[in-house]
Amino acid sequence: MSSLAEYAWLVPVFPAAAFAVLTAMGRGAGRGGAWIGTLASLASLVLSLMLAGQRLSGTAVEYSNHFDWIRAGGFTLSLGYEVTNLTVLMLVVVSLVSFLVNLYSHGYMKDDERISTFFAYVALFSSSMLGLVLSYNLLTMYIFWELVGVCSFLLVGFYFRKPEAKAAAKKAFIVTRIGDIGLLIAILLLFWYMPNHSLDFTEIHNVFGTQTGVISMGITTLIALLIFLGAVGKSGQFPLHVWLPDAMEGPTPISALIHAATMVAAGVFLVTRTFDIFEASQAAMTTVAVIGAFTAIFAATIGLAQNDIKRILAYSTVSQLGYMMLALGVGSETGAMFHLFTHAFFKALLFLGAGSVIHAVHTQDIREMGGLGRKMKITAGTFGIGALALSGIPPFAGFWSKDAVLAAALEANPIYFIVGVIAAFFTALYMARLFFLVFAGSPRGASHAHESPAVMTVPLLVLAVLAVIAGFVQTPFSEWFGEWLFPGAEEEHASVLVIVVSIVAGLLGIYLGWLIYAKGSVRRDVVSSRMPGLVRLLERKYYVDELYDLVFVRPLGGLGKLLNVIDDYVVDGAVRVVGQSASAIGRLNTRLQSGQLQTYALTALIGLVILALAIAGRRFW
Amino acid sequence: MNMLASYLTLAAVLFCIGLYGVITKRNAIIVLLSVELMLNAVNLNLIAFAKYGVQPSITGQIFSLFTMTVAAAEAAVGVAILVAVYRSRASVNVDEFDELRR
Amino acid sequence: MSFNIDWTGEFIAFFALAVCAIVGAVMALNFTKVVHMALSLAFTFVSLAGLYVVLDAEFVAFVQVLLYVGAVTILMIFGIMMTKHQDEGQEAARPLLETLAAIGCLCLLAILIFAIRDADFPDPAGSLPADTTREIGKLLFARMAIPFELVSVLLTVAFIGAVALAKREEEPK
Repeated sequence: MSSLAEYAWLVPVFPAAAFAVLTAMGRGAGRGGAWIGTLASLASLVLSLMLAGQRLSGTAVEYSNHFDWIRAGGFTLSLGYEVTNLTVLMLVVVSLVSFLVNLYSHGYMKDDERISTFFAYVALFSSSMLGLVLSYNLLTMYIFWELVGVCSFLLVGFYFRKPEAKAAAKKAFIVTRIGDIGLLIAILLLFWYMPNHSLDFTEIHNVFGTQTGVISMGITTLIALLIFLGAVGKSGQFPLHVWLPDAMEGPTPISALIHAATMVAAGVFLVTRTFDIFEASQAAMTTVAVIGAFTAIFAATIGLAQNDIKRILAYSTVSQLGYMMLALGVGSETGAMFHLFTHAFFKALLFLGAGSVIHAVHTQDIREMGGLGRKMKITAGTFGIGALALSGIPPFAGFWSKDAVLAAALEANPIYFIVGVIAAFFTALYMARLFFLVFAGSPRGASHAHESPAVMTVPLLVLAVLAVIAGFVQTPFSEWFGEWLFPGAEEEHASVLVIVVSIVAGLLGIYLGWLIYAKGSVRRDVVSSRMPGLVRLLERKYYVDELYDLVFVRPLGGLGKLLNVIDDYVVDGAVRVVGQSASAIGRLNTRLQSGQLQTYALTALIGLVILALAIAGRRFW
Repeated sequence: MNMLASYLTLAAVLFCIGLYGVITKRNAIIVLLSVELMLNAVNLNLIAFAKYGVQPSITGQIFSLFTMTVAAAEAAVGVAILVAVYRSRASVNVDEFDELRR
Repeated sequence: MSFNIDWTGEFIAFFALAVCAIVGAVMALNFTKVVHMALSLAFTFVSLAGLYVVLDAEFVAFVQVLLYVGAVTILMIFGIMMTKHQDEGQEAARPLLETLAAIGCLCLLAILIFAIRDADFPDPAGSLPADTTREIGKLLFARMAIPFELVSVLLTVAFIGAVALAKREEEPK
């Protein structure tokens, strides 16, 4: 049997074909069109699972295939795909989440008249993400990377009649663009400095991993930092995190897709793919770790003070991505990918659960919810599992992966560990707050809530099961996952200290949340009454948006106005002068064009005389 | 002094007088006559060269005959156009003919 | 201008006729009545015919009198009679046009005279045949037959055209 990997390229092709069909059919596709998208994602999922099965059996070898796209002189730019354990893992995660989101959207987007457009975008989004995952070199990856950006723009701005959605879509596009430029420059630098101008991941691995010294230290650091800039933009790390919470303006299934499996994972995946470059530069590693740790705690604290259910989850995503970056920064690829893997499931679960809640009560403000646990048992139960997984409570998936990250952090630098633990505490606290405010207590406001239809709850149940069991692939006792993913990589062994401390932090956060928001034994304004400034600071998200507005947006706007004035008066003025002088000369010439034959004759005579004089005059020079 | 130069000079004088008339006179008939004068100046040159040229030849005279024929045709058509224009405009003043402008 | 002229009969004749021609032309420009101008130019044409005779071109001179004095000038006078005329100078003068025209013409004249005086004319290597009229006839009907016929066609066309142009009576409007 020929290797199934040869057909791996079909995985992204299915959704791409669905996108093409749906776009061709236009709005007439309707609900039937939605099933086309779902079937395509199911096909991708099945193929991915088959690929994974073949790889798990341990017989398959790494397979890559490519063709030359542009051949000019000595250069070749090639596109291609590569099947390794890492890419297959990502394929499964992406196609699974994408399939579940597809299924879920049948319920969630039921009443939207642009449902087929929505499914077309989702299909394109999945396709580009799957393509990105399969990429065999940085160039292919960059193409899909940009496609993902375009799709996020389309989907975040799906409700384009809403001005906030429009602004959020633009923000998502422009902010990630900053990162994309970094990545593009990094690719160009790599192209310039790599032997044979090769951009293959394998070649990068060879050059940076084994034969050190081919590329100088400074250039390596520069390339690594530029790649990281791209990852920062896509994965919503500080300081380019601002687009991610605003992207909540899109439909909720999209938030799940962006946050769990596709867009934000792309950044982490990119760093993992090019990890050898980072490992070659200590400065780059430190930067990644510091940014990751800072983002983790920074976003977690903001999450404490938000009232929009999706925004809380968005900041938790930012925070968890910080964890992944931290893991990468301290050299634990396994920790990062493991956390990405588990996070994909429980974050998709949380977002879809939140979508279910929003679907039921038609609001996103958690202060107007409450007591939903009795009316929406499945949603509440699965959401609770997701929250526990995110909070890092054993035996849920989040515990094991967070544990792996923290263990790696402790080994590298205790400060990272402390920051990570504090962030874990805050995570548990805001998840407890969210859960208790939404599902416990008595209803505030919406009372007509009801459970969502099966098409929405089934994905929740599937994801809940995964959120429970996904963590067992890599525990301190069996390290099968890391061995399978990165054979030969050294992994830190979890210590008892890490396990105990992280459990205590999680439980403490939940207990405190329970005290405040469920039992009420600690008053809610205990912090805000003593330190109103701090709460305001958190509510306003550390004024980062305001700062950007002041530092970048306004000056650029002013510059734009200035340029506009220059354009109006200097450039246009010059054009106008040219035009008016031409017409003035024309007007002058119409006076010569009097229609008087004799004037013409006179002009001809004078011309003749001047010509004769000029020719004759040359004889006397 | 060579006789040829005298004839050529006379032709030049006549030519320039004709040219001046063409440019300055308002009356279209006088303009036409001035053109005839210029043509005559040319004819004079032709005939003078026919006798005093390097190769005296009767061809110059024949050429001047052709010129005269064409000039006669031109005068006839010119006067005819003039009469036609006069019918529509009630004037033969050249400076009122500015059809070329439109 | 040098005056080392041998006063041959030809030169005297040339001189008198040239004076007549120039006077006629200049007078034509100075008269105010159009008929006077036309007649004055006719005088110039006659003088030119005389010059042609001096130049051994009797046939051309004859044609000149016949065509210019007899046909063209008369045609012009008929044209004058068929149209109404204001005298020259009754309307506003165009000083700029006239000044520029005078300057231009004088410059052209100066250039021409300079060129004529500057040029070196070798003596003719031979002479015209004695009976030019006969020669012209021979040539016209032998070597020059085709141009001659073409010119006659041209003349016919021109005259028919002239008739067609001038004949059109006022159509009822």
